[in-house]
Amino acid sequence: MGAAGSKLEKALGDQFPEGERYFGFENFGNTCYCNSVLQALYFCAPFREQLLEYCANNKSVADAEENLLTCLADLFSQISSQKKKTGVIAPKRFVQRLKKQNELFRSYMHQDAHEFLNYLLNELVDILEKEAKGTKTDNESSSSNGLKVPQANGVHKEPIVTWVHKIFQGILTNETRCLRCETVTARDETFLDLSLDIEQNSSITSCLKNFSSTETLHAEDKFFCDKCCSLQEAQKRMKIKKPPHILVIHLKRFKYMEQLGRYKKLSYRVVFPLELKLSNTVEEYVDIEYSLFAVVVHVGSGPNHGHYVSLVKSHNHWLFFDDENVEMIEESAVQTFFGSSQEYSSNTDHGYILFYESLGTR
Amino acid sequence: MMNTSNGMISAPSSSSSPAANPQSPGIKTYFKTPEGKYKLHYEKTHSSGLLHYAHGKTVTQVTLAQLKERAAPSTPTGTSSGYSASSGFRSATARLLGTGNGNRALSFVGGNGGGKNVSASSRISGSFAASNSSTSMTNTNFDGKGTYLVFNVGDAVFICDLNSQDKDPVKSIHFSNSNPMCHAFNPDAKDGHDLLIGLNSGDVYTVSLRQQLQDVSKKLVGALHYNKDGSNKEGATDSTFPAIRDPTQFTVDKAKYSKSNPVARWHICQGSINSIAFSYDGSHLATVGRDGYLRIFDFSTQKLVCGGKSYYGALLCCSWSMDGKYILTGGEDDLVQVWSMEDRKVVAWGEGHNSWVSGVAFDSYWSSPNTDGSGEHVMYRFGSVGQDTQLLLWDLEMDEIVVPLRRPPGGSPTYSTGSQSAHWDNVIPMGTLQPAPCKRDVPKLSPVIAHRVHTEPLSGLMFTQESVVTACREGHIKIWTRPSVSETQSNSSEATSTIALLSTSFPKDNKASLSSKIVGSII
Ligand SMILES: [Zn+2]
Repeated sequence: MGAAGSKLEKALGDQFPEGERYFGFENFGNTCYCNSVLQALYFCAPFREQLLEYCANNKSVADAEENLLTCLADLFSQISSQKKKTGVIAPKRFVQRLKKQNELFRSYMHQDAHEFLNYLLNELVDILEKEAKGTKTDNESSSSNGLKVPQANGVHKEPIVTWVHKIFQGILTNETRCLRCETVTARDETFLDLSLDIEQNSSITSCLKNFSSTETLHAEDKFFCDKCCSLQEAQKRMKIKKPPHILVIHLKRFKYMEQLGRYKKLSYRVVFPLELKLSNTVEEYVDIEYSLFAVVVHVGSGPNHGHYVSLVKSHNHWLFFDDENVEMIEESAVQTFFGSSQEYSSNTDHGYILFYESLGTR
Repeated sequence: MMNTSNGMISAPSSSSSPAANPQSPGIKTYFKTPEGKYKLHYEKTHSSGLLHYAHGKTVTQVTLAQLKERAAPSTPTGTSSGYSASSGFRSATARLLGTGNGNRALSFVGGNGGGKNVSASSRISGSFAASNSSTSMTNTNFDGKGTYLVFNVGDAVFICDLNSQDKDPVKSIHFSNSNPMCHAFNPDAKDGHDLLIGLNSGDVYTVSLRQQLQDVSKKLVGALHYNKDGSNKEGATDSTFPAIRDPTQFTVDKAKYSKSNPVARWHICQGSINSIAFSYDGSHLATVGRDGYLRIFDFSTQKLVCGGKSYYGALLCCSWSMDGKYILTGGEDDLVQVWSMEDRKVVAWGEGHNSWVSGVAFDSYWSSPNTDGSGEHVMYRFGSVGQDTQLLLWDLEMDEIVVPLRRPPGGSPTYSTGSQSAHWDNVIPMGTLQPAPCKRDVPKLSPVIAHRVHTEPLSGLMFTQESVVTACREGHIKIWTRPSVSETQSNSSEATSTIALLSTSFPKDNKASLSSKIVGSII
């Protein structure tokens, strides 16, 4: 840890951000999927802040049951309280807990970073919701978090909004317009990340546009219109009704090839700008600017093997995390992770999960 | 990016269409537009064995260089204006050199894209004659005249004979320690050092193109070298500049001695400058860069005139209209922006690319089918290329109905001194940068055509009188002949008069407003 650490410290020199720590993660045999995502989350400012706060508040209940949330909170506080500025940490307890809890991540097989992120966020939501409910039954008179107390025997329980929701959750609205009576039916759904289909030589802007492009439902795909009381041809469009504070974009690089009976990695060149505005929001949220702060990169030509690394922006410096190793990189080096415009290329490092933070309304 | 320098492609002697390119499978060798078919004429490339570039780091820039006959008398142009072109290019280079933020573009004043409106027609007819006779040459004679495509890929600069059907370059120059990022050609360079090459190390070489062509080696010969801190290896001039105090501030530092090169340093902004362009009359300079801002400077007073932010992300390219009224920019928001010098703001967005826009250019040789000479109905044609491998062509229709949308209250417009179009001054003050526009405020344009022209992301676009030239990142160049050229052999006097017409048909004091071609914003 000495050599690599000191090298990074030297590179940053007196520009080393006050109070910041840059620690690589040890790999316990194909745990790079986990390491790369955890680094991205550590440098997600509101997420780290909430987790460290959670950790501080939970110190009193030292014997509280161990779960993924407590393990992750411990890990983050361990990093942030390091005396050294750089080095390597073994996220052993977290990984053990993860493997114990989910069979999927138990094997030494190559794992999918997006699947892990999704599992982790949902798990954190579950734990926080349970805790919120727990405090309410213990202490029914008031809600300390400003959450509404669920009605005792009410059918509609107010959904609990955890800080994970506040950070990552957005709302999509699925508008369907019946082509006969023109009635628009809207159905909302929440998301913690957006999974986008990708095309060769395209941009994230264009992938988002395609995600929200109008689709016509016809033939066997007709829509049941409540007004017409029958199946009708309709036009469907997905819009972002409420953009999240942290926008996580997952590029669908692993595609199931039916004729091959297996997944194939798409190495397509998909450019992602360092600043982004969404073209597919409802009118109210047009022109909100996002800034890229982390990229989880898949390295390798196939879906079943390979490696994950991450690029992270911290205090206006870009850093490259590859398990134990942490290096400083130029902002312009981010473009070497866009993908390849040729099918067979020596470049196999491709941006896979993008993390954008909202800069507020213009 | 690309620059045109008296660009001219002579008509093909045989108009047989080329066979499908094995390097571009599935890509058509023509595209249709309302005015007819553009056909793939030639392709220029380099054998991949010549390259040792690092992936993802290639930047291709293409310029057209016109070598005149050695014995030819001095050109009829370049003297009409008040300054010398060759000293101009040096200072232009110099002023943009060494800002320490990775400039990617060099430019000659009066050379590339620098034809003044007044002299444009004579300049073009002059070079047309030269180009016409060059078709009779079957073998390229390096001592003679010719039109060359100069492009850089990876660690090399390649030179192709534009008029030969030979795909391979006639010359390659390799740089062992650094990659060439940009270059420029000045046909009027008095000392013969007409080719300027900028490296990513910050060094700049000026060489004679003819001399390079005569030499058989892969080395640069007879080069004058300028390095980053502004010193010239051969000369003893010292022109180091003081350190930049505040990198966020625009500053101009002049060299201590009048004869030193660079003569000045302009520090423009933080982050890289991705493209620069001089207006055709040489009076204004436009820059775009990483910070997403287009900035327009008055070159002689070194003052910021106006500018504005992209919708989001970096801007990658910029280009002026012939008449200096509009600037196109393209960037990471996938948009082509049309900036009006009169309004000092973005007046239209071109939506149609599926990825970043890497090259933009007005087609100054194109004349609107509606142009009747009275100047009552003017249309601009422009093109854009993107990392989506597509070429898009656009029409911008201008009406002469003088109905300012925001005439100041009280009746007569206020004119500030020194500005020819001052009735907007009260709306957007001089010397300010505009924030990113709101989506709903900007009229949208749709492309006339969109055509996939290469397999690789594109990096440059250039219009010549008889063709459209496209280049991709990997250094493949395609030359598409215009419908008029492939259908009827063009005649020089007609072509020349078109140019003359174009350059005079924009009355200075009339406010042209965007007409119905620009549809209302679609959300
Ligand atoms: Zn209906």
